[in-house]
Amino acid sequence: MRSRTKTQSPYIAKKPFRQKLAKVWAYKWLYLMLLPVIVYYIVFKYVPMYGITIAFKDYNVFKGVLASPWCGLEVFKKIMTNKNFWEAIKNTLLLNVTTLLVSFPLTIIVSLMLNEVASAKFKKVTQSILYLPHFISWVVVAGIATNLFSLQGGTINHLLNSIGIDSIPFLSSNGWWIFTYVLCNVWKEIGWGTIIYLAALTGVDESLYEAAYLDGATKFQRLIYITLPSIKSVIVTMLILQISKMMTIGLDAPLLLGNSKVMGVSEVISTYTYRLGIERAKYSDSTAIGLFQSVINIIILLAADKFAKAIGEDGII
Amino acid sequence: MAATLKKKKKITVGQVINYALITLLAFVCLYPFLNVIAYSLSGYNAVLSGRVNFYPIDFSLEAYKQILGKTQIWNSMRTTVFVTVVGTALSLVLTTCAAYALSRQDLPGRTFLTGMILFTMYFGGGMIPTFLVVKGVGLYDTLGSLFIPQSVNVFNFIVMRTFFRNLPESLEEAARIDGASYVQVLIKIVLPLSLPIIATMGLFYAVGYWNTYFDALLYIQNPDKYTLQLRLRSLLFGEELNNSSANLEGMGTQVMTQSLKMATVAVSTIPILVVYPWLQKYFVKGVMIGSVKG
Repeated sequence: MRSRTKTQSPYIAKKPFRQKLAKVWAYKWLYLMLLPVIVYYIVFKYVPMYGITIAFKDYNVFKGVLASPWCGLEVFKKIMTNKNFWEAIKNTLLLNVTTLLVSFPLTIIVSLMLNEVASAKFKKVTQSILYLPHFISWVVVAGIATNLFSLQGGTINHLLNSIGIDSIPFLSSNGWWIFTYVLCNVWKEIGWGTIIYLAALTGVDESLYEAAYLDGATKFQRLIYITLPSIKSVIVTMLILQISKMMTIGLDAPLLLGNSKVMGVSEVISTYTYRLGIERAKYSDSTAIGLFQSVINIIILLAADKFAKAIGEDGII
Repeated sequence: MAATLKKKKKITVGQVINYALITLLAFVCLYPFLNVIAYSLSGYNAVLSGRVNFYPIDFSLEAYKQILGKTQIWNSMRTTVFVTVVGTALSLVLTTCAAYALSRQDLPGRTFLTGMILFTMYFGGGMIPTFLVVKGVGLYDTLGSLFIPQSVNVFNFIVMRTFFRNLPESLEEAARIDGASYVQVLIKIVLPLSLPIIATMGLFYAVGYWNTYFDALLYIQNPDKYTLQLRLRSLLFGEELNNSSANLEGMGTQVMTQSLKMATVAVSTIPILVVYPWLQKYFVKGVMIGSVKG
């Protein structure tokens, strides 16, 4: 079909371009379908990326993003010398690392336990229950947590009192608050996290187990020498993925669980940028912190990816 | 009889412990919900004395009567239902279109366009620049701000694209040879085969919109437009409820408040609990496709 155009066109140089155009035209409906999504990404993702320039500007609400005067690295100098900024970074890492240390091994253990369950019905019911908290909003989780853990009138403290233990300040002392924060996170996501491991576990070759069984390997030995090595690459990938998110923290959990008493540990990067940017309207400062965080994130991500490839695993990008 | 005996023999101590631990874990996951329901259905004195734990004491529907009598709750419920329904529909249409178009291996410019979408997973403008754009396009303090700026999720896009790619090519080719356009192929062949994945994506989007808290906090000013989550927060952690129930009840306010709070939590969570069992069989598959990177 295209050959006709070829013979008709006297201009050799224009030929490939025309062909290309004809080819693109053949897909016009697909491009039309894509158009709204591309517009969406440009408006809501790429224009804000340009907006990052206000981190290098003395932003003035009346002048807007484009007309505000440049000020170089002034904003960065200001935030870097701010104690609160480093405090927020420290808290972000503290909460993320603690949560990871608890939830990561626990998720694998729960997956292994679920995998050992022979009764399909029991497995299905428990899995349904374990996945459920993932779908609950943080507002609700925080509300429930307050009802359970508050110093006065909290169900757990009532229980402790009734067996002769003093009330525990789950939500109002720094150390216990971290405990409660990690607990809520683990409660919410542990079941959901098992899905990927369970999928990997179903792929383990049954004949390996049979062979080991015939050789007299105990259940525990089979777990250590067959099961874990079989899902090793999933474990490594998940770990690297999690580590690459260490500087990112959701705003909902610390904002909703936190209170003025535990600000020293609950103020993380996301809540700090929120308070600075929205509550105190310091747009440039808040944006600069966001950019700093994004850059660190990308560095960690690239490093993690490189590391994964270096040890012979699939990359994560 | 012999067969059952043989089967029973296989149950070891380890297995019993395993079942017990999993049951315990499931209970821990369920316990907070039971606690909420117990509080919301218990009478004054029981709540006051702290006897309520995971079943209601002195059964009472008073808290629900009060909550459902509040026009604010109904307003917020309407707002949230609207955002969830319209948002999910918009998200599904946009994601399906983009995923289908970019699942065609022969589409010119496919790599660039896909890369453009994937890049936003790793880098973004951040809170304030996005806030300024939402304000700039006139969405600030409108319900549109709760679903338009979030309408396409990269993760869901990858899941759908992977799913479309794995559909048998021969079906589509046959239709193409018969002269069907891409749009016809999508509607008549691809979509009917993709109902499970669409249900999964629908669930993810709908739950996301239902639970949206932060966007509402950022973009909604007018209390009349509060979503359920925003309303819930101001009821749970603000003063709103204390005052109103103080007017209504006088004595025993604080305790009633606890029941009221938990009744509000229950009301705002029940819709998810109702939909959840129906879609549960689908979403595991969705997560697994998503974990295989695009």
